[in-house]
Amino acid sequence: MLPIDAAAHGSRWRRRHPLDKAVLGLGLTVLAISLPPWPGAALVLAAALTVLLGPAGVPGRRLWRAYRVPLGFCVTGALPLLVQVGGPDGFLAAAPDGPVRAGELLLRTSAASLGVLLFAFTTPMSDLLPRLVRAGVPAPVVDVALVTYRMSFLLLDSVRRVREAQAARLGHTTRAATWRSLGGLGATAFVRAFDRAARLQTGLAGRGYDGTLRVLVPPARVSVPFTAASLALLAALTALALTLEGPLS
Amino acid sequence: MVPVSQETGQGASTIHEVLERVRRVMHIAEGFLPPAHAIAWGVASAPFVVHGVRSLTREVREHPESTLLLGASGAFTFVLSALKLPSVTGSCSHPTGTGLGAILFRPPIMAVLGTITLLFQALLLAHGGLTTLGANVFSMAIVGPWAGYGVYRVLRRGQAPLMVAVFFAAFVADLSTYCVTSVQLALAFPDPGSGFLGALGKFGSIFAVTQIPLAVSEGLLTVLVMRLLVKSSRGELTRLGVLLSKGTKQEAMAP
Repeated sequence: MLPIDAAAHGSRWRRRHPLDKAVLGLGLTVLAISLPPWPGAALVLAAALTVLLGPAGVPGRRLWRAYRVPLGFCVTGALPLLVQVGGPDGFLAAAPDGPVRAGELLLRTSAASLGVLLFAFTTPMSDLLPRLVRAGVPAPVVDVALVTYRMSFLLLDSVRRVREAQAARLGHTTRAATWRSLGGLGATAFVRAFDRAARLQTGLAGRGYDGTLRVLVPPARVSVPFTAASLALLAALTALALTLEGPLS
Repeated sequence: MVPVSQETGQGASTIHEVLERVRRVMHIAEGFLPPAHAIAWGVASAPFVVHGVRSLTREVREHPESTLLLGASGAFTFVLSALKLPSVTGSCSHPTGTGLGAILFRPPIMAVLGTITLLFQALLLAHGGLTTLGANVFSMAIVGPWAGYGVYRVLRRGQAPLMVAVFFAAFVADLSTYCVTSVQLALAFPDPGSGFLGALGKFGSIFAVTQIPLAVSEGLLTVLVMRLLVKSSRGELTRLGVLLSKGTKQEAMAP
C-alpha cells in the first residue's frame, strides 16, 4: 500500500464520510487558488497545516515526505518567473516583479497542495471510489478504477521482484544490459497484468460474476456539525483575507 | 518535474521507492494554474473524456469481462510510468507511457485510463493535482495519445515496419505531451517583456534540453517492450488489434 493511502486507513477521521472531508480539504484548495495569494493563500496554508497536524492527527514526518514532492515542482516551476526575455535590459534579464510573482505562486501552490493532502491523508481510496457512482460517475468507469487501484499494488510488487532478480543476474551492469532488462520489465508487466485479469475473470465467473463488482463500503453518514464547522472556517478565512488584503498589500 | 536522477540502476527495494520514481514524470502541480486556466483546460478535456467514457461503458456492457482487462490495462499504464528510463544524455527519467498505451488500447480508452491514473497520482502520490487535473489530462491523456496514435496509423498505412511506427509513436507522444505542458505554462505565466512567445521559449527551452533525449529513450524502450510482446503475447496483441490475425489482410482498426 502507498504511504498516503496507508496513513488514510489509520487516520482519526477514517470513519468520517468522504463528503465531510472533501468540503474541508478541497474547500481549502479552492480558496487557496481563488483568494489573493497574500494574505489569502498564506492564511489557508496556516489553517490547513493546523488542521492536518492537529485535529486530523497526520504525523509531521509523513506529511513532509508527501509535501516535498509538489514543493519541489513549485520551486522549479517558479524559477522561470524570475527572468524576462527581451526588453530594454537585454535578451535575458531579471524580471522587475519576478520575485513577487514567484513568491505568490509558491504560496498559492503550497497552500492548495496542503488542502488536497488533508483530504488524501484522511480518506482511503477504497472508501472514495465506490461512492463516486452516487456522484454521477458511470458504474463501469468506477469498476475499472477499482480494478486498476487494486491491481496496481500487485503489479508494482511484481515489477519490484523482477527488478531485483534482474539486478541479481547482473542485468543492470552495462548500458546495453540495462536497456534489455528494462524492455523485459515492461513486457513482463503487460503479460502479468493480462494474466492476472484472465485469472480474476475465471475466479469471478465461478462466483456468478454478472459484470458488476460489488464491494463492501464502511458505513458513514454525513456529519452536519462537521460540515457546518468546515464551511464556517472557509467563510472566516475568506472574510479575513479580504479584510487584511488592503492593509497588508 | 525535470528529471535529474543519476541512480546506479539497482532495483528499488520497496513499492514506495518504485513510486518515488513515478513522481518525476512531468505534471503541473496542485494550484499552479490560475482558476480561469484550470477551468478552461478542464472544459477542453471534458469532451474527450466523455467520449472515452462512452466507449468504455459500451465496451463493458457488451463484454462484461472487459472490466477486468481494462482495469489491468490501467494498472499497466500506471506501472509503466514507474519504470526508470536511462536517457541518451546519461540522466534518467520515466516514460509517459502514452504512446504504447495509445497503440495498445486506442486514444479514447487512454483518455479514461489516463484520467484515472492522474487522479490516483494526485491523491496517492501528491503528484499533479485536482485543480490541474484538466490541464494534465489534456496533455498526457489526450494530446499525447492522439498525436502518438496518429503518427502510428500514418506510418502503418505507409507500410512502415511495425517497430519503426512504434518508435515514432512513442517519440511523438512523449514530446507532444511536454510541448503542450510548455504551452499551458506559457499561457498561464506570460513573460513580462515578450508575452506568451517569450514564456513559451523559456519553458520550452527548459524542457527541450531534457525531453528530446528522453523522447528518444522512450521510443527505444517502447520498441524493446513491443518486440518482446510480439514474441510472448501475440494472442493479446491480436485481440487488441495491434497485430493481424491469421488470414486477415487488413490490419484491425479501432471502432
